[in-house]
Amino acid sequence: MIKFKDVNKWFGKLHVLKDVNLQVAAGEVVVICGPSGSGKSTLIRCINRLEKFQKGELFVDNFPLHDHSTNITNLRAEIGFVFQQFHLYPHMTALENVTLAPINVRKINKTDAVKLGHEKLARVGLSDKADSYPSQLSGGQQQRVAIARGLAMSPKIMLFDEPTSALDPEMIGEVLDVMVQLARDGMTMCVVTHEMEFARQVAHRVIFMDQGELLESGSPDQFFDNPRTDRAAVFIGKILTH
Amino acid sequence: MIAHYLQRLVEIFPFFLKGLWMTVAVSGLSLILSTIFGFLLGTLRAGNSRILSGVIGIYVSFIRGTPFVVQIFIVFFIFPEWGIQLDAFPAAIISLSVLGTAFLCEIVAGGIKAVEKGQWEAAASSGLGPIQQLRLVILPQAMQTILPPLVGQYVLLIKDSSVVSVIGVIELTRVGWMTVVRIPEGLMVFTLVGILYFSISYPLIRLSNNLERRMAVEQVRL
Repeated sequence: MIKFKDVNKWFGKLHVLKDVNLQVAAGEVVVICGPSGSGKSTLIRCINRLEKFQKGELFVDNFPLHDHSTNITNLRAEIGFVFQQFHLYPHMTALENVTLAPINVRKINKTDAVKLGHEKLARVGLSDKADSYPSQLSGGQQQRVAIARGLAMSPKIMLFDEPTSALDPEMIGEVLDVMVQLARDGMTMCVVTHEMEFARQVAHRVIFMDQGELLESGSPDQFFDNPRTDRAAVFIGKILTH
Repeated sequence: MIAHYLQRLVEIFPFFLKGLWMTVAVSGLSLILSTIFGFLLGTLRAGNSRILSGVIGIYVSFIRGTPFVVQIFIVFFIFPEWGIQLDAFPAAIISLSVLGTAFLCEIVAGGIKAVEKGQWEAAASSGLGPIQQLRLVILPQAMQTILPPLVGQYVLLIKDSSVVSVIGVIELTRVGWMTVVRIPEGLMVFTLVGILYFSISYPLIRLSNNLERRMAVEQVRL
């Protein structure tokens, strides 16, 4: 479904992705972790071309993203993206946030869109918040609306960029629960997160990145219990103590 | 004597109304054109193309950095030398629109840039095309920042329209000048001119203040 081949990216002189090779199969749940500045966010942002890269090949759903003539707008409709800071549309209700893309991209009619929107909000446990504006919702609720917004397009892939990092601790659980359910339903997911519990519960694989390099790839238990590299061991030590 | 002038003034009042109508026509048309082009250029100015944004920046600086009288002289007296012959009315509309566009374009660009980058990214990620991102997600939020100064700029444009009297458009200010020749009571004549200008700009000033207050409340909601 996703295939990175020797992908390199620079921000000016800074080499943020170094010869990254990675394959994600349909239905696979991959957790990407690593210290801040390791390039993990950049990596998943490449998958829907929020970032461009300079060298290498990247295929997403058979579309070659290294080819700049690829129509990214069509591809993006098939990929849900959940941001650390939610980025809900503040001038729209939760329901309108969820139905905007189905109405304007999929061109489904308003009645069906509203029905779809309510369905997706129910799926993230927010049926009663359809008419609330983002500012009236807690962080955890906002992030769940953001997930519903992604799901409303029936995406083939869902990407999560540190979805719980901006949340108060007591709200992390409600968001992770939704994500666990999604993973169990067979969604293809790439999740940048340090939530070890989530990784152990549903991830098929954990990827460890540091300084732009993809250093490890293994099962969650193998990675957390017996990391192969020193850098990964140091990192796991840090997230355990924190 | 004063009473006599006052009576004369009342007699020729319809002439003032004609001038007022011309002021409304000139500033109204320029206002519409400025708004259309202001939004177009403002969007490009806030956009990704450095070259385009730079070129628009030069245009804006030039308009801001030169007196409007000079600009209107260029359009009315210099253009004909390059074979572009314009009547006073279209020349007035063109120069006022060029002026208004420059100011509105900066207001629009400022409003667009004030919207978080994450909003573009969220809209793009959901599969909306660039125009849809702008229309459905960015502009509705940018309008909060844009609207109050936009209406304020309309008031300035109405007042600047008095300058087109210099090329012979018979609008309110010109009517004042023409009247003062016959009724040499300058204070009286131009007080009337002032009141008539105020009668069209005051509702806009109120609207601008209202919008500012409403938007401040909305900002809290956002």
